[in-house]
Order: sequence, then C-alpha cells, then structure tokens
Amino acid sequence: MESFAFAPAYELPSWPFTPPSELGSPRTVRHPIVIVGAGPSGLTLACDLAQRGVRAVLLDEDDTVGVRGASSRGICYAQKSLEIFERLGIYERIAAKGVTWSFGRTFSGEQEVYNFNLQANSVSRQPPFINLQQFYLEWFLVERILELGLTDLRWKSRVTRVEPLGDGVRIDIETPAGRYTIEADRLIDATGANSPIRTQLGIDAHSSRSTDRWCISDVRFKKPLPVERWTWVDAPFNEGRGVWQHLMADGVWRIDYQMPEDCDTATISQPEVAGARLREQLGPDVEFEFVWIGPYGYRDHLLDSFRHDYVFFIGDAAHVVSPFGARGGNSGIQDAANLGWKLALIAQGQAGDALLDSYDAERQPAARQNLEVTSRSARFLAPRSPAEHTLRRAVVALAARHPFARALVNTGRMSVANDYPSAPQLPEGGRTVQNLPLRWADGRETTLMQLLAEGTRCIGLWLAPTRAEAEAALAATAPLPFHLLAIGGDSGLPALQADDRLTSHLGLREPGSFALVRPDAYRAALLAHASPDAIAAALRTALAQDTTP
Amino acid sequence: MITEPRIPDPDGFYAALLAAHEGLDGAQSADLNARLVLLLANQCGDQDVLLACIRAAAEDSPTSKAP
Repeated sequence: MESFAFAPAYELPSWPFTPPSELGSPRTVRHPIVIVGAGPSGLTLACDLAQRGVRAVLLDEDDTVGVRGASSRGICYAQKSLEIFERLGIYERIAAKGVTWSFGRTFSGEQEVYNFNLQANSVSRQPPFINLQQFYLEWFLVERILELGLTDLRWKSRVTRVEPLGDGVRIDIETPAGRYTIEADRLIDATGANSPIRTQLGIDAHSSRSTDRWCISDVRFKKPLPVERWTWVDAPFNEGRGVWQHLMADGVWRIDYQMPEDCDTATISQPEVAGARLREQLGPDVEFEFVWIGPYGYRDHLLDSFRHDYVFFIGDAAHVVSPFGARGGNSGIQDAANLGWKLALIAQGQAGDALLDSYDAERQPAARQNLEVTSRSARFLAPRSPAEHTLRRAVVALAARHPFARALVNTGRMSVANDYPSAPQLPEGGRTVQNLPLRWADGRETTLMQLLAEGTRCIGLWLAPTRAEAEAALAATAPLPFHLLAIGGDSGLPALQADDRLTSHLGLREPGSFALVRPDAYRAALLAHASPDAIAAALRTALAQDTTP
Repeated sequence: MITEPRIPDPDGFYAALLAAHEGLDGAQSADLNARLVLLLANQCGDQDVLLACIRAAAEDSPTSKAP
C-alpha cells in the first residue's frame, strides 16, 4: 500500500494572557460592550468598533487563531465580507495571501453540466470571492485590532456564567490567574455553534443534524488545475458521490469527498484511505502531501431572536447552516458589520436602544433565508428517498443536453449580501450597495468604502439637487450623523461625477432623486423626488429616532 | 392552472406516452416520467401554475388508488 506524507503543521501565532486590573479587586467594573469569542464574527465586530473609535472588551478562552486540532474551517470569503474588510483595513493582506476566483463549474460524471461566473453582476472594487484559510483571516483581524489599539483583548479568559441584570449582564470569567466578575451594558455572544452562553440561558436553537457525511483532504500537489470552484454531483473517482475542489492560500487544495452515510469516520480519514481517494482523482504520477484530513457531518440551527434584552447573538452562536455556498462564516461577518455601527452610534450618544432591535429584524431573516437556501442544496446533494434520487437523475440527465435543467443542478448557491425585509427602520426593506469606484468632481478617485470608513455616519447621494435644496437639507439634518453628497449638478455640496453605473446601481433616475446609504453599505431609502424634509425624515427613520424634528 | 381540455389529440398523446414506457421496468419508467415532468415544467414556466399543478397532483384521488 502506498504511504503518504504530511506537510509540517502550520505555526500559528499566540498572544499573552495579561492579568486584568479586575482580578483580585473587590469592585465590579462595568464595561459598555463585552464580546465573547474571538472567531471571525467576534473579531470582525471588535475591529469594526475600533475602526469607529469605540472601545470593547473581547474575551477568548484560547490564545491563538484557528480551531485547535483542526485545519481551516471556513475558506471562502464573499464580496460583501471583502468589502467590510476593505473598510476595516485588512483587504489588501487578504487579497495578497488568498486566491481570487469568480468562476464555478459543476460536473456529473465526466461531463460539465453547469457553470457560473459571479463577476458578471459585480460593480465592486472587490472580487466575488477570495479563498483563504480561516486562521489567516483571524490572524489579520487580531493584528489590525492590536494596531487600532482600542480593544481590550483578553486571551485565556473563559466565561463560566452569565447573569442577565435589569440593565445589563453580569459575567463570571475564569483565567490562568484566577476568577473574576465584570458587568456589561451589552454582551455579544460570538462563541460559536456550541455557545455555552446560549445553553446556560436556556435558549432553544432548533437544531437538527444531517446524516450526510464528508471527509476533507487539504493537500498540496504539483498538478496544474484551474483556479475555479469545481464540484461533482457524482464523481466517477469517488464511487459516484459528490466531490468539491477548491484552492486556498499557500498552494493548498481543499478536496472534500462525500462519504456513505453509514461510513466509519475513523477508517475513511486514515491517510492510506484518504490517499487512495486522491490517487484515484489525481492519477498515478502526481506527487502530493497532506496538510490535514478531517471527517465531518453538518448540522443546522437558528435562534428565533438574535437579541435577548442585553445579550446579542452573532455568527454561529445565532445560526448554523450546512456548508454548501459559504453562507456560514460570511453571514457571521455580516452580522458583525450590521451590529457594529449601531453599537457605535449608541456609544457616541447619537442613537437610542431601539436601533439595536433592527439587528435582529435584519439578520434573523437573512439567516432564515440562508438556512432555506443551504438546506435545498444539501437535499439535492444527499437525496433522502428513491423518488428524490429519481428526480435528481432526471435533472442531471437533462442538464447534459438542455440549458433549462442546468439551473436545477444545485451544488450550493454562493453567499450573497441578503436583502432585508421591510421593518420599522427600513420601511422599503434594504439592499446592499457594492463598493463602487467613485470619482470626485475634480477627478480624484475614491470608493464607497473609503467614504464609509470616515467616522460612523449615513451617506446621502443626491442626483443634481439645487443649491437652495442642498442648503435646506444640510440645515434639516445638521445634528445627525450624516454626510450629504451630490452626484453631478451645481449645488455647492461635495460632488461626485455622474456615472451611469453609479446611478443605476443606486436606483437613481431623475435629477432630484436620492439614495440613503447606511454605514454598513445598505441602502436604507430611495426617494424619487427628494425634499429636504423627506431626507431628514428618512435619516431619522434609519437611525430609529423620532420622526418629528 | 388550466383544467379545461387543451390537448388537440388526447388519444394520440396518451398512446405516445404509453409507447414511450413500453419495455421499461418500474425504475426506468420512473426516470422517464421524471424527465418528462421537468421538460413540461419548463414549457409552462409559470411558478404559480407549477405550484398549483404540484398541489393538484398531490391530492388523493378516491377512485384510482395506486395498486
């Protein structure tokens, strides 16, 4: 039997535990914002707050990045996440280290039955996707947080108990130097799928577990393959089951094999067994070395509400979906970006607590949609009955010959920035605004993310207003966190050059039309013929303030 | 969903459908039917009509229970 080599393990950074001043002090200190869990969502939230000049305490039970004993979990970062990282100042590092892609192909047997090019609908400076091992992302976030210098990062600090108070939360913490207690005005639970906080508070996550089994092989080899997402519904080199093939940083391929439901996970993850699968796929002459082998099953859960008084759930603590389409990690990152600016405005005294209800009103439906989409992919990939197998066979057979059936082939619908439903702060619902390249009237270049990286404020984009309207709108919105810009015209406002791509992406048509963009780059309002009063009212609505001036 | 007759030659259609199933075993017939359903669904192309047809097809018929 062929034997297989393993690459040396990654050397991940670790950070020191520093005993906090509360240890051994009789006084219980209260912090405005305490985040628990330094995974992608918790780190993104801490970084987003720090970028906005807002302090937070971040507690993590470990002192490094990544998941101990495992390789990378998430690998695909979607455009909306990349735009957030651009705003946070780590996008260039991610792009330099990661693998940019936009094209995906799906095969049945030897034949391609479906493909997609996500670049086609993009007007963003960021690409549709970059693949990167999750620990690199976390590493870049930690270094950026340390550079910003506003986050109290407490490693080796495990939360053992939380107690809801009438006006906050009490938190018991265990460290290598002893136990202590703090209080928080608001606690953000980013502790992941097995959240002990959620369990302790007795919140039902409505979880269910799939019987579908997969085994990841992260592997390095020299065979040149296209930098695309390839999936097989039924690969001839995996006994007719599914296979995923994706490139990550450092030349490491993630190849994910669907296994029989009744497989023995210890056996299928033995190097000899995993190596035989790879040998079958790559052919006899390709040398390869393993980086990691990991069998897994998947599960899902979804909280009914992401806010419980002063406790907020983000990322996997709030929702877990099957892995098809990269909707887990990306959704957690977007939870953080949704919550960050709201917490920042409250910290700065520019919004009231009601704004935080919109976090749940927006992100819970987004997670529900992701759960529905990923569950449909999972069901296509693991049919549950003879009838489902029959229907899938029909889809795949027709897809080989007829374009219409290709749309039914479902090996994952890639993560999107979910639209938000109509809610008190979003009367018309909300949709993402991509990171458009922009140009000031004098020709200087900028982007939407650069505009949003300055402070925490909504941006108003007004197509060719008059001078009088512009002055009245500035007066009507004067005390609010708002940056009013013109597109074209001669209003005296800071003005961007008119550009069809910009106006059509925002939905602006006639002169006088107006789009309100929130700090998380969601369009909160679109006014066909804006008046100064209507602009001020739309802004107050988006910020959950009284609509009467 | 249209339930009034629209097929110009119903007997001819039915005969062609039976002919397509001739010589097939149960699994092959099921595969054929599945492909046919998907092709016809795309001819219809109307989501509401498709969902109404699925509901109508799923209704129990008291006179023709499967054997």
